[in-house]
Amino acid sequence: MMKKNLIWVGLLVFTFFIAATASAQAVRGVTDTEILIGQWGPQTGPAAPWGAVARGTDLLVKMINDQGGIHGRKFKYFLRDDSYMPAKTKAIAKEFVEQIGVFAVVGGVGVATGMTARDYLMENKVPWGGPVTGVYEWIHPIQKYLFAVYPLYDDEAFNMTGYLHEKLGFKKIAMFYQNDDYGKQGVMGVERYLLKHKIKLVEKVSAEVTDRDLSTHALKLKNSGAEAVIMWTNPTGAALILGESAKIGFKPQWATSSTLSDSALMMQITRGLWGGMITSFFGELPDSNHPLMVKYREAHKKFAPQERWGVFYYAGIIFAEPFFEGVRRAGRNLTTESWVKAMETIKDFQGIGPPITYAGIKDRQGGKHVFYGKVRPDGSIERITDWIRITK
Amino acid sequence: MFGQLIVSGLAVGACYALLALAMVIIYKTSEVLNFAQGEMAMISTFIAFTLLDTYQVPFPYALAITFLFAIVLAIFFEMVFLRQAKDPTVLGLIIITLGFEMVLMGFVGWKWGPDQRALPFPVSNIEAYTFYGLIISKINFWTLIVSLVLMLILFLFFRYTKLGIAMRATQQNQLAARVMGIRTKWIFSFTWAISSMVGAVAGMLIAAMGVLDPPMMMDPLLKGFASGVLGGMTSLPGAAVGGALLGVIENLFGGYVSLSFKSVVAFAIIVLMLCIKPSGLLAKHYVKKV
Amino acid sequence: MAIRGVSLEVQERQIVSILGSNGAGKTTILKTIMGLLEDQPDKGTIEFIGKRIDGKDAEDIVHLGISYVPEGREVFPELSVEENLKMGAYTRKDRKGVKEDHERVITHFPILFQRKDQWAGTLSGGEQQMLAIGRALMARPKLLMLDEPSLGLSPILVKEIFGIVKTINGEGTTILLVEQNAKMALKISDYAFVLESGRIVAANVPNVLLEDEDVKEFYLGIRSEESAKGYQRWKRKKRWR
Repeated sequence: MMKKNLIWVGLLVFTFFIAATASAQAVRGVTDTEILIGQWGPQTGPAAPWGAVARGTDLLVKMINDQGGIHGRKFKYFLRDDSYMPAKTKAIAKEFVEQIGVFAVVGGVGVATGMTARDYLMENKVPWGGPVTGVYEWIHPIQKYLFAVYPLYDDEAFNMTGYLHEKLGFKKIAMFYQNDDYGKQGVMGVERYLLKHKIKLVEKVSAEVTDRDLSTHALKLKNSGAEAVIMWTNPTGAALILGESAKIGFKPQWATSSTLSDSALMMQITRGLWGGMITSFFGELPDSNHPLMVKYREAHKKFAPQERWGVFYYAGIIFAEPFFEGVRRAGRNLTTESWVKAMETIKDFQGIGPPITYAGIKDRQGGKHVFYGKVRPDGSIERITDWIRITK
Repeated sequence: MFGQLIVSGLAVGACYALLALAMVIIYKTSEVLNFAQGEMAMISTFIAFTLLDTYQVPFPYALAITFLFAIVLAIFFEMVFLRQAKDPTVLGLIIITLGFEMVLMGFVGWKWGPDQRALPFPVSNIEAYTFYGLIISKINFWTLIVSLVLMLILFLFFRYTKLGIAMRATQQNQLAARVMGIRTKWIFSFTWAISSMVGAVAGMLIAAMGVLDPPMMMDPLLKGFASGVLGGMTSLPGAAVGGALLGVIENLFGGYVSLSFKSVVAFAIIVLMLCIKPSGLLAKHYVKKV
Repeated sequence: MAIRGVSLEVQERQIVSILGSNGAGKTTILKTIMGLLEDQPDKGTIEFIGKRIDGKDAEDIVHLGISYVPEGREVFPELSVEENLKMGAYTRKDRKGVKEDHERVITHFPILFQRKDQWAGTLSGGEQQMLAIGRALMARPKLLMLDEPSLGLSPILVKEIFGIVKTINGEGTTILLVEQNAKMALKISDYAFVLESGRIVAANVPNVLLEDEDVKEFYLGIRSEESAKGYQRWKRKKRWR
């Protein structure tokens, strides 16, 4: 009897030992030949246009795999639709970690959606590169495994207000924003600048994401007498407010964030009202001659010709480039920790997005630059500045 | 500003009214709240978009084909899904419409993608007419006209034509209607067809005023529903008045009270009406004598 | 209510009654003829002027010339009286004929003309019954089936309505009448069937039925005498069944 028990205990200890050594050697989602990565993004629902980002990342993955992967490993990419619903995002994050067992998460559209997954991913030490929003949530407090790419909306709005005021001489500035985290961080930046320079924001108008009637909003903006209006909203909101403003003959200088930098789309849905818009950009223009852009456009024709070469689509490349750079720098011996170390060595790395720098363990905000462009009447973009540093 | 708020309130209210009408037409005959109404209108509008934009079909033909599509879609749904329901309760039927809504949403997302589009439309959504200092954009003006004409046609149809009366009769007493020789099943299909057409008009107007994309009808449908509740879900004139009222109330609220809470007005109205006068402002209701 | 082995025939231009107590299956017979029941009978046939009509839709049966006035009137409460009448002629295309019938209905029921723009739901019970009959006549039926026209009406009104039914019959419309009020029904009928629990228990011309004390007392609820023998008869009925 005693002997039998002993055998059982022995077996148990042995299994534990095997399991322990196995897990010490293997990194989740990394094998000799493969690295598993995942991304969520709205493929359906009201935010679906932004879901192109997640498909853009897929293009980069295909390109890298086509060139033989990185250090002998190819990438297996899992794209999941969360319809921009936080509850779904959280479930997807769990699926990534517990069922698929991904090495890292790349990109991921949305603040509220990403926030439901952030702490979970960090607790499980899942590297996360380049969430597709420029908010403080990703870098305050500093998360060891989370490396942001997108320039901060707050700084972007701050700087844009400065550009309108100092370079273009507008005194009466109003704000139109979407009533959520994204819109509010835009307001934050605009108000921060104006407060610093003791200028009054002449009007501040918000709309819900679902609102389809913005006539009153436009009327309020018009009555404020604003010369320039900065807007921080989704494409639909932008198209509606421009349309309503045009109807009542309100024609200020409009300016907006990089999230609306897909001017081909915006031109089409605003029926040409997008002309004259001042936009900040976090990436090369769609028709840029930048050598990488040429290469990506060729890959696009080869791997995903059905996709429209829009800003949201290739933004999926921009947000993923630093992650792959980290994998490259980490070398063949890829672990979570080696990836983090490698990411921290990135200085002035530039793909087709802004120059990326992670200045040591205290800095997780990679993108600190934008440039400005003005939309020509035909929808093409005139680049009016070089990369400007917006985050000090 | 007051006049301007009223004018734009009426214009948007006209769209709400059309959606309310579409819902009321179905509700009147079968007591089913059709939550797929918005998405049926949306997919019809996408059809119109494809015809106008991709195939460059002249507008009147595109319009005719779109209507035809709206009719076929509605009859298909009524015959294939609703009619097949075993021992249907009203709640069960409503849930079927919810399911259909999701199917349509998914289909449009798959077929046309999530990007926003601009619907080519014969009336500019930027140019405006000015009457005595009031600016009314051409699209708003024509939306008002089209809605009024459509409402008038519907009103006359239900009031004076044999088929219109038969539709009301079917709603009031199905057994008696069958005894009269009215093909009630056919009437139900027809009801859905008319409703779907009215919805398609609303969808095209809403897309022409703003942007065409899959979620475009979510907000308007809610407002349309609120208008219906406000005017009385069984009354056509009620739906029209409810829509206009809601549009104006919303805009005045947004203009003078709070713009951030403007979108809550519709919800508040639904709740308030259901508490105070559930039958709505204009619905006369006959109380059955015992 | 199930009906079994019911065989009945209605001669042209007659008034035929189906009598019996509540739940005997009278309405079921009418609804079956009308094609209103989801499950049509498994066995047996229904013929109308030489054509089989069992299994047909109500809509087609109306077209063939059968009209049905359902129990409880079932007018369209939120349609005007005029619109109710209009619905009665729903299947008809001959405008001239419809107009004639409209006039005929108005002559029978002048009150309907006075109330023509009122919602039918606001009419009194008797007026609604008149409207229901008038509406059925608008189809110009060859056979008019009336289900409990006397239900809930005062004796004077019942008399008036039965009088009109008789007149209508006199104008050439065959009538199949279902009634609990056997006394009234037998007065105008040419022939009557007595139904109980889905079976026909007696069938004859009214005079004969009225002479049969058992039928009279137990199925028709007509008492000719204050009888001490009632108890005995009760027992006999029990046995008979």
